[in-house]
Amino acid sequence: MDKSMEKIDILKLLIFLLLFIIVTLFMILVVIVPNIKEYRASKKIYKTAYLHKVRVQNMLNDRKKELKNLRSQNRKIITSFSNKFSTKNFLDYTGTYFTKVALKEVGKKGHKNEFIEYKLRVTSSLKTPTNFYDFLTGLNRYDNIIQADFPITMEANGTKINSDFTIKVYDINSSAIASLNR
Amino acid sequence: MRYSFIKPRKKYLFSMFTKLWLIFISFVVIALNLFNFFIIYKNSDYKNSAKELDANRAVLEKEIEKVNGQIGFILRQKALAEEIYANNIVLKDSIKNLFDLVPDQITLSRVIMKKNSLVIYGTTPTKDTFNFLLAAPLKSIFHKSNTVFYLTKGGWYNFVSTNEVIDNEVLE
Repeated sequence: MDKSMEKIDILKLLIFLLLFIIVTLFMILVVIVPNIKEYRASKKIYKTAYLHKVRVQNMLNDRKKELKNLRSQNRKIITSFSNKFSTKNFLDYTGTYFTKVALKEVGKKGHKNEFIEYKLRVTSSLKTPTNFYDFLTGLNRYDNIIQADFPITMEANGTKINSDFTIKVYDINSSAIASLNR
Repeated sequence: MRYSFIKPRKKYLFSMFTKLWLIFISFVVIALNLFNFFIIYKNSDYKNSAKELDANRAVLEKEIEKVNGQIGFILRQKALAEEIYANNIVLKDSIKNLFDLVPDQITLSRVIMKKNSLVIYGTTPTKDTFNFLLAAPLKSIFHKSNTVFYLTKGGWYNFVSTNEVIDNEVLE
């Protein structure tokens, strides 16, 4: 019969107690504490990364909101730039102000890298200068971005005025758009 | 042949006391190890998550750059369009102002407008009418004004008025 539990050997008890303390302390101090230190450092890195990411995410959301607002506020301008210039539509538009309109392309060049500027010469006949003023006012509401430009010649021809002027049509340089979406 | 009066007892390698201690110590060691593995797991989980967050952040930053580019492009489109719209209105006002300047006595037959110059052809009853009613305001607008008159058969004058603005760059 095992009587070790009835008669506890104090020396043995002390030895086991010491062994228990040594093993526990070893586990805690040598194995667990360094890992906890590393864990705390990792947690700190994670929290920093998380905060950084949240900040960047918020910034992106703000920028997207700004982009959306800008798009809705400047919808007309953006559409006008993306619309392809149609000679027929322009002649229809000028027909409401002038008669005998003729259009001739005289040049094409890049404008500030992102745009292409087409230069066209418009010859027309009008009744009064008011037609020309109305044409210029209406140009700002036209489907394309168009600037009327010098040289402008107006010559009296009986009851009518012959006019000859330049228009600059602005289009988007498609390669510039491609680089933006990359 | 028996040499002992008692029955032989079963001998154990470890006594119950030792066994209990060893089980207790082993249990504590296992528990501490489990805790340690949990820490190691959480540690590597945080490290991986941080790496993932950094990668996500880099993607978001790239997206911000793209959105910024798009915002910039819209702003540049807006600036150009507003400049063009303003130029059209300025041009309209300039032409309107020019025609408003011309008094009823003077008839214009031809107008050539360039960026820095204006040439007007027309008819005036007298030189003075032209000089007082049209030449004076033109002189206040342009840096250089020069008019040539030709007497017509009807006693009126045909004129050619050449007016120029000297570019600031040229003046400098």
